[in-house]
Amino acid sequence: MKNEKNWNRREFIVKPILWAGAAGVLAKTQLLSASTTPASAPTPILQRPLGKTGLSLPVVSMGVMNADVPGLVRRAYELGIRHFDTAAVYQNGRNEEMVGRVIKEMGVRDKVVIATKQTSRNHSPITAETKIRFIEGVEASLKRLQMDHVDILYHHAVDSVEDARAEGQIEALQSLKKDGKTRFIGLSTHKTVDVLNEAIRLNVFDVALVMLNCTMTHDSGVLKTIEKAAKSGIGIVAMKTQAGGTTKPDAKLPKALPSVSQTALLKWALNHDFVTTAIPGFSTYEHLEQDFSVARDLAYTHEEEQFLADKVFVANAEFCQQCGECRQDCPQQVDIPVLMRSHMYAVQYQNIEMARQMVASVAPGRGLDACRACESCVAACRNTVHIGRKIAQLKTHEASQLFT
Amino acid sequence: MICVALSLATMHGQNAQPHLGTSRTQATDPSRKQFANFLREPLPGNARAQAKPALYNPESLYQYIDGGADIYLLYDFKNLLHQDLKSGAAEVTVDIYEMGTTEDAFGIYAAERSPGYKFVTIGAQGYQDKGILNFFQDHYYVKLSGSGASADTLLDQFARILSGRIGGTKTLPALLAKLPPGHQVPHSQQYVRKDPLGHAFLAPAYIVSYAQGKQESKLVVSVANNPQAAKSRSEQLVKHLKQSGECASAPELGEGGLRARNNYEGRLIARTRGRYLILLLNPSENGAETLKAVAQSLP
Repeated sequence: MKNEKNWNRREFIVKPILWAGAAGVLAKTQLLSASTTPASAPTPILQRPLGKTGLSLPVVSMGVMNADVPGLVRRAYELGIRHFDTAAVYQNGRNEEMVGRVIKEMGVRDKVVIATKQTSRNHSPITAETKIRFIEGVEASLKRLQMDHVDILYHHAVDSVEDARAEGQIEALQSLKKDGKTRFIGLSTHKTVDVLNEAIRLNVFDVALVMLNCTMTHDSGVLKTIEKAAKSGIGIVAMKTQAGGTTKPDAKLPKALPSVSQTALLKWALNHDFVTTAIPGFSTYEHLEQDFSVARDLAYTHEEEQFLADKVFVANAEFCQQCGECRQDCPQQVDIPVLMRSHMYAVQYQNIEMARQMVASVAPGRGLDACRACESCVAACRNTVHIGRKIAQLKTHEASQLFT
Repeated sequence: MICVALSLATMHGQNAQPHLGTSRTQATDPSRKQFANFLREPLPGNARAQAKPALYNPESLYQYIDGGADIYLLYDFKNLLHQDLKSGAAEVTVDIYEMGTTEDAFGIYAAERSPGYKFVTIGAQGYQDKGILNFFQDHYYVKLSGSGASADTLLDQFARILSGRIGGTKTLPALLAKLPPGHQVPHSQQYVRKDPLGHAFLAPAYIVSYAQGKQESKLVVSVANNPQAAKSRSEQLVKHLKQSGECASAPELGEGGLRARNNYEGRLIARTRGRYLILLLNPSENGAETLKAVAQSLP
């Protein structure tokens, strides 16, 4: 966790201004609106239109899933955040309850854009039944939120073309929109290219919630697809912008990320102007202040530029999502996903014992020894993981300590 | 029909680790063996698996519950066994989450629980609602859902057989039992492993609601390693409260006593006791007595 003494120069400037402004105005009013930001605020909050919805949102929003903290939602609103993203599945619905309770207490329902998501896993293959279950799920969300409608309703975790075009869910979304239970409909996905292309073709979704972070720097396929979707009129909301940097940095990123990484990563995502807003999942006041400092100025500080130029970080940040699609392209049938996990343990975790176990679990003839260091697997990775380089690093470990 | 036991022998990890189902890995993986034991036949209603069971790990959990995975990871999630079964016209889904510790299992269970549910005597604590039955026991959090005729009865039977097979401890975290029971809101206890109240420095903490009349207060017991660390937490809290509102020393509340208010946490009183920092949010008129009683009850 970041210590105050480790803050960068920008944070030292921004945070006291924000707190001081809040403390002064709060003495007179219960809540600050973005438009009444104190005179000391240097620049207005950046806002962008959300596709064809007619909505305009501050570039930094709040992904509420990690924060069961009413005070944090209040502070987020006070700073100027107007879009709050939750889902039926977060805390089994408790997250929606908390969001709904706080928004009601603050009396600001008409000033915020609320998004929730409904999953369709375990739903019946029968379209009519799926539609009914989906609508029932949304009705339950509205009850927990204490709202008669949400602003954006996503079909949650749409991770295949078949999911995207599923008739029952689309009919349910359109029906709910027609009935005024949601103003706009969308989908959330981790399979950006396939699903967004299908969403463009279907031409029924107003918004898409997509993963976007600097591990995709070289993935022109993903970036171009998102841009294409935006140009087609779909509003783009970005998630996972900090690549798990604050909640689970060990899993995908180097252990000791500097605090400046969080603003740098968020700015990287928002500097793609096809993105309307991002929903970082901060869970502390400290991180809220830090993330929201981005909303007034997307220019990189010198420290942020240095961080993003760090080749070690970029190399380590390329993370294998274990989709397994590379496996079929390897002429040697190497078990690449397991080796990528081994790499994570060996290089990022420095946990040689786990790495050794992972490597040992590979079937005979499909491990490191089978890899001929060809580069075909690199082209097959959709997340730009440099498989060949990571395997080469593993082999270096092998020679030194991995199998001793 | 593929029986559950056979399915477990070829369990695979939803793309994430499809080759971990080799016999070599299984032999060295106690979780896999344990999971296989939990769902061995016979099962209630002669339930049969509808597909191969799936095992998710911290890297792949998001594939099952998407962004909902984040909070599980905060509670040191280890593995999830997911299995769809069918018994006659009823369908049942079994999700068994293996967490790091009993506290973690309780923490994630409590984060998803609402005091308004109908509670049942299964595991350390559990509740049932239409089509769902969730409970935690030892370091496992079990979530059952079902649909179709007699699904709720089937869920109850599944819960009881799983509870018996899981074994281990069936108690809430020890500290919770020490807190004054008077005016406690039933089933409001929580264990927050990370960022309680939005402050990293307060972690970990236990949170319990107390109600007197219509006024509900929230008790937060932040557990530090030693008295010095508790004092440091108090100092960080004071700094936050002074920055965001008003905060004054209140020695009448005991060691490190303070009273504060801001627009986020609202009104609160707090004090330290040994390695504990104790906060009471939205205190009632008797808040000082509650704080004192809590301090005296802590080990």
